Amino acid sequence: MAAEKISLYNLADLKNTADDAIPNYLNSLKFKQTHFLSDVRLGLGYTAFVICAACFAWDYKLGFEDTKIYTAIAVALYTLLNGALTFWMMFVEKGVVYQGTSPSGEKITVVSTTKKLDPTYRLSITVTDKSAKSHIIEVAKPFASFFDESGYFVAVPFQEILATAVPVIGKLDPRRIKSESQDMLNANPELLDAILAANNGASTGVDASEGGKRRKA
Amino acid sequence: MFSGLQNPRNIAAQIMNFGLVLSTAFMMWKGLSIVADSPSPIVVVLSGSMEPAFQRGDLLLLWNRELFTETSVGDIVVYNVKDKEIPIVHRVVRKFGHGDKARLLTKGDNNVADDTELYARGQDYLERSDIVGSVVAYVPFVGYVTILLSEYPWLKTAMLGIMGLMVVLQRE
Repeated sequence: MAAEKISLYNLADLKNTADDAIPNYLNSLKFKQTHFLSDVRLGLGYTAFVICAACFAWDYKLGFEDTKIYTAIAVALYTLLNGALTFWMMFVEKGVVYQGTSPSGEKITVVSTTKKLDPTYRLSITVTDKSAKSHIIEVAKPFASFFDESGYFVAVPFQEILATAVPVIGKLDPRRIKSESQDMLNANPELLDAILAANNGASTGVDASEGGKRRKA
Repeated sequence: MFSGLQNPRNIAAQIMNFGLVLSTAFMMWKGLSIVADSPSPIVVVLSGSMEPAFQRGDLLLLWNRELFTETSVGDIVVYNVKDKEIPIVHRVVRKFGHGDKARLLTKGDNNVADDTELYARGQDYLERSDIVGSVVAYVPFVGYVTILLSEYPWLKTAMLGIMGLMVVLQRE
């Protein structure tokens, strides 16, 4: 998935690599990806390109004077299609990197953005459940949390971010859910030992932390 | 840089982006052609025959519609001569008749004689249809790059080399 090393100083590279990782991860969880947005974009773009190629061909073969009307029509069509393409990308796609449906039927739309000079990956995840009610989850994490220092993408922390923030994803991949208290446990091995001793190691990390908290209070 | 290429849609999108850059440039040129009604709405002056008005390397913007006034004596026009590749930029010095039937004689400001020598064999005058457009605006010197590239072909090789080097350097 992320075999390639990228430059950590290139924000576009960071964003593109992370964007590519989202479909990889979600599709591996049996999400069904919808390509409608990008297919429309590709359709508009390639139609415009074909018109331009045809215009070039008749202009080259028959000269300018004889094909003036067709060229004028081609220019008008090209302008329209390119305008539609720009409109589609700016107002409809708006940076959508993933659209899909979970096995249980929720629709999910992931938009990613970055701000100039700010190495933070910002995700806006819209989840629409079966009753067409939607809510938006905003996630902002520094790229440093899922890229190692030499520029390789690390999948596990990235997947943990998604699974923890979005319940629909977390439900399908519970192993990747990471709670705040577990962070605390990792930072504090003694606390973990204390909890494990108190619980006799009978339960998993999440339950143990709850138990631990109660005891401390 | 090429990490997104496993997905066919990503490949298609990257090819499309590259294609659209080229095609948009071409269609802008064609759009200008249509608006100016000229097969070549921008030309570069190649000779000094119109000095001091135009020097080698000046970029000329042409207009080939006779909306309000006809091409008349004193206008600087670009015209093509049958069987000659390169269009010529010269001033109209005489005109007989009107409209499509008008006969035009041209001369370079810096030339001693008129252009009858430059016309095709047996041709004594220009017709309206020979004209590619009248000069309406110019940008000094900008077109000199194209003159350099055509006069010193090794420059093309050098430019290609530099561009290739930059691609290689940028990748990693």
